[in-house]
Amino acid sequence: MFNKLKEFFGGATLSLFVTMVLVFLFMYLLNGGKYVDLYNIRSMASQLPIIGFLAVGMMFAMLTGGINLAIVSNANLNGLVICVALSWLTGSESLVRNDMKSASVFQVVLAIAAGIVISVLIGVFHGVMVAWLRIPALLVTLGTMTFIIGVNEAVTRGYTISGFPAHLTRIGTDNLKGVLASWGVDFPWAIPIPMILFILSCIVAWLLLNRTRFGFSLYMMGANETAAKFSGVNIMKITVIQYVVSALFASLTSLVMIGQLNSIKANYYESYVLVAVLACFLGGVDPNGGFGRLASVIIATFILQFISSGFNLMRMDPYMVTAMWGGIVLILIFGRAILSYTRRKLRRRTPESGAA
Amino acid sequence: MRRYFFNRHEWFLVGVLAALSIAITWVNPSFLSFENITDLLKSFTVLGIFSLGMFMVIVSGGFDISFTAIAQAAQYTVVALLVFRWQSAGYIWVAIVLAVLFGLILGCLNGVVIHFFKIPPIMVTIATQNLYYGIMYVVTRGDLIHDLPAYYRNFSYARIIEFHKPDGTPYGLTWVTFLWIVLGIVVALFLKYTRLGRSVFAVGGNRISAERIGFNIFLTTLFVYGAMGAIAGFAAIVDVSIAGSVIPNSIVGKELQIIAAVILGGAAITGGKGSIQGTFLGVLLFAVLSNSLTLLKIPSYYYKVFTGLVILIAVAGNALQLKRQEGKKVRVQVDQIPSGQA
Repeated sequence: MFNKLKEFFGGATLSLFVTMVLVFLFMYLLNGGKYVDLYNIRSMASQLPIIGFLAVGMMFAMLTGGINLAIVSNANLNGLVICVALSWLTGSESLVRNDMKSASVFQVVLAIAAGIVISVLIGVFHGVMVAWLRIPALLVTLGTMTFIIGVNEAVTRGYTISGFPAHLTRIGTDNLKGVLASWGVDFPWAIPIPMILFILSCIVAWLLLNRTRFGFSLYMMGANETAAKFSGVNIMKITVIQYVVSALFASLTSLVMIGQLNSIKANYYESYVLVAVLACFLGGVDPNGGFGRLASVIIATFILQFISSGFNLMRMDPYMVTAMWGGIVLILIFGRAILSYTRRKLRRRTPESGAA
Repeated sequence: MRRYFFNRHEWFLVGVLAALSIAITWVNPSFLSFENITDLLKSFTVLGIFSLGMFMVIVSGGFDISFTAIAQAAQYTVVALLVFRWQSAGYIWVAIVLAVLFGLILGCLNGVVIHFFKIPPIMVTIATQNLYYGIMYVVTRGDLIHDLPAYYRNFSYARIIEFHKPDGTPYGLTWVTFLWIVLGIVVALFLKYTRLGRSVFAVGGNRISAERIGFNIFLTTLFVYGAMGAIAGFAAIVDVSIAGSVIPNSIVGKELQIIAAVILGGAAITGGKGSIQGTFLGVLLFAVLSNSLTLLKIPSYYYKVFTGLVILIAVAGNALQLKRQEGKKVRVQVDQIPSGQA
């Protein structure tokens, strides 16, 4: 039974899963009943997707040893483009004093499409710079991050823009029960829409990574790019798709973000770039590329969310969460090192079992 | 071949700087005044000092995100201690020594974790940044410290060369800027003429060869991250003396800009390559860029647009040049070596 589980999840994922359960139990012990009541579970389920989208988007970039530092600024730009498109479509006076509330569903769809187009363009740019010019992804995305934040600041002039139409903010705030009820269907569970989007996007991501040529090429490029090239992988194409997928996750983030904050600004969630990298690392994605499982990354985002929700409930300083996020990664690093050390020791003592 | 003070990339930076300066001076002649330049240098001193430590880290093939958190923690701890507890020890040099020690310890901690657990430095330092910054914020509750003793302000106002304007306001080259330049020269000489300094380049260039030659990799790693921490501590005190108050989130978030300055200065992100002159020019480019926007009356919102563009153009230009060189290389087809000869 245990071995089968281990085979299915992979050893690292299983230990991560155990960590997640332990963190959950620990937070439950600290907070008592209110940690597991419906209200808290629901708020966790609507907050988790933001870290989740960013982490999965980051994972796509990290699988080839790259990184996408621009992912959060990309999400903000996406939100701003939606905002600009909506206020243009509704003939608003300016971005700040806008008339977006009156936008129709069709106009909202157009605006979202405009946002997606911008994200895809950013992704293509990243891919071309990384694959064609062979610039390290860290530098390319550092440059685009600064540039995009600059554009965001120039567009918003430091203002926070609000007044989004209800059709749009529903994406971030409504739940399945409410949506289905408005269509006349009775559904018992009030699962938040962001969570549903997250689950769907994770299924798509899993299929992309594990069931397509693209996913296989991605892992192969991460492990050995030269070998991948000589086995006929089109490096350029794969890299472009890779960064486009990463940017699309930024696009999803922005939709949820607009709904939950009911506003957009130059740099919301700026510190989440590094949190996304942290989540990937916690989820066992090798920063040098080639290894990383989607399931582990998702579990890692759950761990981070459990910690942050738990400390929020205890009315702790939000920076305590930051400290704990850093702490848990260091603890995991120590833990993994100690584990591999003892394993090596054991193997040395019984040579017949560890002949390999 | 003779080694020049500037290499090709640095001459390129000098050219860009000169072109920018001429353009700005044409529009606004006050740019090239001694007052404006010294003011500019002073306001970029903190960034410049940070970039010296970052330069060493990048040359050694490492990476550090946590140094801003170290600086922030050192700044808050030291200033709070000196202002609220040990008033009698209130001298600027005490603050500097304490902050440098504080930074050194946290920096060495980074180095130890990076070396012994074989984890990519970017991951370790993201984690430690969260840890250091989070703990500092929890302990201090984010309170600002105003009304600092006069010695902080005096430190940043002291000038090594001083002139007076007709109305009596002084201007000139400040001590802090001078210290930045001296520190830069010390780092450059250290990297060039000491065993430990050479090992930084060696480890960054090729870790395995460096180890086989007999360099102590652990010592190099510890030195690089420790020095980064110590320099961050020093920069933190310079920062507080310039800013005049302790704001617990004033430094964290600038780390990527400092890394960008070092990269712009020609240091290779893969390690082993780079020069202090280049780093200095990189910082200078950012300084001139920000100042030119002010003098040309362009709203400050556009600052990051230009910064981002400059980074992208510099990086892409460098890459294109490399690509061209690659194309020029003669490719030699090596036949299979018969088994006896190898």
